[in-house]
Amino acid sequence: MSEDIKKIHPYLPTLVNQLRAGKVDRREFLRTSTLLGLSATAAYTLAGCDEKQEEQQSSTTEEAPAATTTTTETQQAAAPTDNVIRIGMRVPALEDPATFSWVYDSNVTRQVCDYLTRTGVDNVTRPWLLEKWEASPDLKTWTLTLKKGIKWSNGDELVADHAIWNLTRWLDEKVGSSVVGLMKGYMLTEYDTGQKDDAGNPKMGTKLWADNAIEKVDDYTIRLNCKEAQLAVPEHLFHYPALILHPSENGKFGVNAIGTGAFTLTELEVGKKAVLKKRDGYWGKAPAVDSIEFIDLGDDPAASVSALASKQIQGLYEASVSQFAALQKMDHITIYQVSTGQTAVARMQPIHDTWKDPRVRKAMRLAIDSEKVLQAAHLGLGSPGEHHHVCPIHPEYAKLDFMKQDIEGAKKLLADAGMPNGFETEIFCKKDPDWEPQAVQVMAEMWKQIGVNVKINVLPSDQYWEIWNVETAPFAFTTWTHRPLGVMVLGLAYRTGVPWNESFYSNPKFDETLTRAEGILDVEERRKVMVELEQIMQEDGPIVQPLWRAVFTGMDKRIQGFQIHPTYYLFCEEWSLTA
Amino acid sequence: MIGFFAKRLAYLVFTMLVVSFIIYTISEFTPGDVARKILGPFATKNQVELLTEEMGLNRPVFIRYFEWVGQTLSGDLGYSTRYKTEVNNIIWGRLYNTMILASIAFAIIVPASILFGIVAGMAEASKLDRTISVASIVTTSVPEFASGVFLSWIFVIWLGILPGTSTLDTGAGWSIASQLVLPVAVMVLYDLGYVIRMVRASMVEVMMRPYIRTAVLKGLRFREVILKHAVRNAMIAPFTVILLQINYLVTGVVVVEAVFAYPGFGRMMLEGALSQDIAIIEAGALFAVLIAVVTQIVGDFGYMLLNPRIRFS
Repeated sequence: MSEDIKKIHPYLPTLVNQLRAGKVDRREFLRTSTLLGLSATAAYTLAGCDEKQEEQQSSTTEEAPAATTTTTETQQAAAPTDNVIRIGMRVPALEDPATFSWVYDSNVTRQVCDYLTRTGVDNVTRPWLLEKWEASPDLKTWTLTLKKGIKWSNGDELVADHAIWNLTRWLDEKVGSSVVGLMKGYMLTEYDTGQKDDAGNPKMGTKLWADNAIEKVDDYTIRLNCKEAQLAVPEHLFHYPALILHPSENGKFGVNAIGTGAFTLTELEVGKKAVLKKRDGYWGKAPAVDSIEFIDLGDDPAASVSALASKQIQGLYEASVSQFAALQKMDHITIYQVSTGQTAVARMQPIHDTWKDPRVRKAMRLAIDSEKVLQAAHLGLGSPGEHHHVCPIHPEYAKLDFMKQDIEGAKKLLADAGMPNGFETEIFCKKDPDWEPQAVQVMAEMWKQIGVNVKINVLPSDQYWEIWNVETAPFAFTTWTHRPLGVMVLGLAYRTGVPWNESFYSNPKFDETLTRAEGILDVEERRKVMVELEQIMQEDGPIVQPLWRAVFTGMDKRIQGFQIHPTYYLFCEEWSLTA
Repeated sequence: MIGFFAKRLAYLVFTMLVVSFIIYTISEFTPGDVARKILGPFATKNQVELLTEEMGLNRPVFIRYFEWVGQTLSGDLGYSTRYKTEVNNIIWGRLYNTMILASIAFAIIVPASILFGIVAGMAEASKLDRTISVASIVTTSVPEFASGVFLSWIFVIWLGILPGTSTLDTGAGWSIASQLVLPVAVMVLYDLGYVIRMVRASMVEVMMRPYIRTAVLKGLRFREVILKHAVRNAMIAPFTVILLQINYLVTGVVVVEAVFAYPGFGRMMLEGALSQDIAIIEAGALFAVLIAVVTQIVGDFGYMLLNPRIRFS
């Protein structure tokens, strides 16, 4: 066995030994071993647990549904005449999935087209259209092998050329996919376009870093030759725009689009509804429902609650804090909840005078009582933030002493920084969802206690996303979605010069330590380095992080098989409806 | 009369041009980047610049405006960046939906307001007058979002006899008619009181006129006094007010459409504005101006017909 798994990746036998010695827990073992190419089934067998059961336990319900799993036959026997599930969700234009900006954009297309991988509700990534992946010991070469025999809805077989066409397209900056932001560091390089911008500086473009960066090995095998070591390639292949489209449609998606998924899109009216019908010939397990309808109810939370109450829909894509009490009172609704790495941070840009001094930034953190913010803004659903953006559910999370509110300590830091009387500043935040301005309001009251008067500038969401990562917004409150690994988040948000470094934070020691952590497969060893990173963030970092969110939604008790995903991805082929 | 209509038509065209230019200019200086909105917050700066160039958004605003005017005159209302389709494919359906809502509400508001306004104005300061007046003030004072939530709580959550939203989708078993009840009720409640107050005030004024006293003193039955002498004269002023309600009912029901998730013109405009979708905003604004000016012209025309002392000039 040891030799067999060593062939998959040289680090796997060590990982198995660590599991047996109790040095890594089961969840960490599953996550890392599957990342290194071990099949989920094999990983679960080695870990001595049941895959299905484990996955279901990750998604909790307020009131457990009567039966979460039944066979398809039983589901179909008990299915109602109107075997249709209606979900309340925005229905945007779906023209080009590669350019999707939000998760809900992808939820319709996800039923028609698949990803190469899937990260489950248990935070474990598994091959999906892929049969397996293999990583080189230095994590610079990733070999992706497609499952054989997967048919598109037009009868074509899925082959490597199709996947390569998609990968290449995502990484073409002219397409406008946010996959570029994720993969730029290890798949792309910058080049001078020969043009000048308004200031006379050369305009830079991006392209694949090498001609063989994406390489076809055979009809079912693709090799990614990366510029840098990268641990999270399988996770990146599950980024919401990374849906595999049929090349013949040239990246366009719409009614009757070709896909490998369980459903076909039969009707789409932007801002109103999208209808998906079960299709014949799906390569996986046939879905138990005949049709899925996504109904656009706009942004008013009251509309969604009313629609659920009158059973015009059977579930919500996501629920907000303001809807929680109403959902609890509906007898026919089950509330599903999951702990996530979703959060929001009040990031300060050290490039501005106000935030240049690390003592000021730390004082802002010490002024905050995270528990109180969590209670006041998010009904206590989640856990208090620790100001370092590594979540307790991340495998490499290192537990530090909790950074408690310390008003006197914060005042002293401000005094040492030459601001004994505090200062005045302005914070930008989004209007929606409502917990965000509430959290900022609560924090502003806490900052007042150390003499920092913060004016809150609440912007419509669209306007906020214009300024989230620009220099003209020195202090702002930004939400960050769930990522399976702590190093992923730190690499995306705080490494010097990366596109999503909204705080323009630059700390060579942090960058060096992070690079070291990213190259360590051993979770225990990586955790030791994470201690350093978390400490840097708490002492010097650019953020105040008040909370980690538990996300939740409401679904009709008649819906079986639903599990809430930490990123709100919906997999409707797993659902069924009882009469 | 031809001169009257020609002048009004010229006024209409001029207003539409001015409004469209103002909106174009304002949207130019509104914070936000259209390409960024399309690509989302996580696109790189390079990607945003490339799309801006591809869409021609980096050209001077005047060039883009006159280009848009030319397209509009040929019937092309432009491409919606929010809905990713031609504006013509969106706006007509949305207008139609809102017209349905507006027509039903208008058909209830006009007779009900005239009836209650006349009844209240006939006997000023009576119990009936006070009851109608207080009810009118209360309903008009309650904002639409509040009455929407309040009615939903009663009829959707508590009694469970009406659907909570009006998506015009019958899939869940609720008829279109049942879906229209709550939004129409909110619009009627909000608007009815205002028109009742107008009709009542006009009626009160007419009832104090010497010709009404003369009619009563010459022995006419009270019913005839009201119907033959009071009502026609009392309706002259409210006529314009009533017509102006069309404006509100078609272009001003954003809140009602948002609360009930109604796929209408108001919600389209709201979403267009939030997405900085200039084609949708411009097209919607043109229709709003068109409706406003046309109702004004009809109002003027009707006013002249009702009041012979005013002549076409």
